[in-house]
Amino acid sequence: MKYIKKLSTITAATGLGALLVTGMTGCENRTQQTQQQAKGAFVIIEETAPGKYKIKDEFPADETRIVLKQLDGVERVLTKEEMDKLVKEEEAKIDNGTSPLTQQNPEVSQGMGLGSVLLSSIAGAMIGSYIGNKLFGNQNYQNNRKAGYKSPSTYSRSQKSFSKSRAKSTSKRSGFFGNKKSSGKKGGFFGG
Amino acid sequence: MLSLQKTKALDTDYLESLGFVWHTDTDETSYISNELVVISEAEAEAYYEATNTLYDMYVEAAEHVVENNLFHEIGIPFNLIDAIKESWENDVHWHLYGRFDLAGGIDGKAIKLLEFNADTPTALFETAIVQWAMLKQNGLEEESQFNALYESLVDNFKRLVTLEEDVSTFEERYDGWNFLFTSVRGNSEEENTVRLLQHIATEAGFNTEFAYIDDIEFSAEEGIFYNDVNYELWFKLIPWEDIALEESDLAMLLSHIIKNQKAIIFNPAYTLLFQSKGLLKVLWDLYPNHPLLLETSFEPLDAQKQVEKPIFGREGGSVTIINENNHKVESVEGDYDSHKMVYQAYTELPTDAEGQCYQAGVFYAYEACGLGFRKGGKILDNMSKFVGHVVK
Repeated sequence: MKYIKKLSTITAATGLGALLVTGMTGCENRTQQTQQQAKGAFVIIEETAPGKYKIKDEFPADETRIVLKQLDGVERVLTKEEMDKLVKEEEAKIDNGTSPLTQQNPEVSQGMGLGSVLLSSIAGAMIGSYIGNKLFGNQNYQNNRKAGYKSPSTYSRSQKSFSKSRAKSTSKRSGFFGNKKSSGKKGGFFGG
Repeated sequence: MLSLQKTKALDTDYLESLGFVWHTDTDETSYISNELVVISEAEAEAYYEATNTLYDMYVEAAEHVVENNLFHEIGIPFNLIDAIKESWENDVHWHLYGRFDLAGGIDGKAIKLLEFNADTPTALFETAIVQWAMLKQNGLEEESQFNALYESLVDNFKRLVTLEEDVSTFEERYDGWNFLFTSVRGNSEEENTVRLLQHIATEAGFNTEFAYIDDIEFSAEEGIFYNDVNYELWFKLIPWEDIALEESDLAMLLSHIIKNQKAIIFNPAYTLLFQSKGLLKVLWDLYPNHPLLLETSFEPLDAQKQVEKPIFGREGGSVTIINENNHKVESVEGDYDSHKMVYQAYTELPTDAEGQCYQAGVFYAYEACGLGFRKGGKILDNMSKFVGHVVK
């Protein structure tokens, strides 16, 4: 049987041989990785038809900034007040069920309203984190937010760049098992 | 009578240099026996075949539980059912490793399944490292063991990425995902078991880091973080049922993290199905009188010697041996008295000249890959000793 081994042969194949000589302590103490964390997002939203919008691109940035490209060619940065107002309005729509973000099969091929698109972006999820729970628990939201992106590749690229560098948010929880006492027993989980 | 070979005991300084610091029991006796169980190649083969067969049967039994919604019957906490179903449906939730506890297999006794430690198995260090160290320190380099546990884990870590038997494509398919390894704070055995696994994962080619559970940040939407670094892969040597019962908020967060595909958690949530001793009853229902199984029921068995054990007990806690006349003949106290119990037909364990009982532990990582023994009383508890082996 292939798993009956001699020590003299097995140690050559893996790091086991070195471990038996130097122990694990020789291999620890690697330097901790540190990574620059983005705190916000830079989002470019494009008006694709009158009153309909899609996300053209989105990437991590220090500060959250939403650039709007209107149909008439004007490019402008949304103010904090504008963003807050859009999020608030969209929240009301989520509550009364008229937001395409939480509908089962919304007609979104042309794009969605500016508030919906903003919230489907990752920046929107950051700005509107206080309504995040209403959205993230909603399967339709998870499906529909893709519709806010101009192309599937924009969506997956955005997902990828953010999964590498998401900022610390208030929604994280820690300290679990903080008071768990050491059992100090031999064979902690050795079964019975 | 089983056959033993004496060796010179390992020096504790050497064991500590390996990271193996739990070498001495609370009564100051050595936890590692200086004897080796001598087994034949045929006996090793039989353990290998039996373990692979049993794993396939466990998969069938778990599928039966999922299809027929028997979670409650086998004692699964309701707040993990979503996580279990989610992990069961997708191959990325690969089972890293588990350990089958088997009676018999030596001394002419038939192999019988006692239970499957599928979620948080220890004795990994003893089996993968210490029993090789015993051969090395005793000049027994040319002796053999049924023990490819270390290299099998290297390969199975690679399979978390390749998701198939072939591991040769790991390097091209691994996209730098970070792998975090975790134990609770203050238990050196559990911590060093986890650090050994981290060491093996690093050898396989992963970016790895270690953190205590209470230092880790969890977010349903964003995933798992330590020191602001996101970890896509997380190994925790913390039983799922403890998470369910003691930290239900964490159970909820992890369920969301799995559903939102923000991290993959090892061992997967579905290993709690394997871990439940309620599955021993399901196995008997599906494979009645199978030669590798002992009859198991949720009710006491009629007129036969049997063992009563809690569905999620560990270290022999709250286990009782009941004889044919329904009298308790031996028991180990524990914290699990309030748990649901199963009743498993009794089987004699092989013994040595001093009457010590021996139980085999066969590790499974994609297939059966390593053997070790424990010896102790009729119920193996937290004072039992680890015994290495040689194949002659």
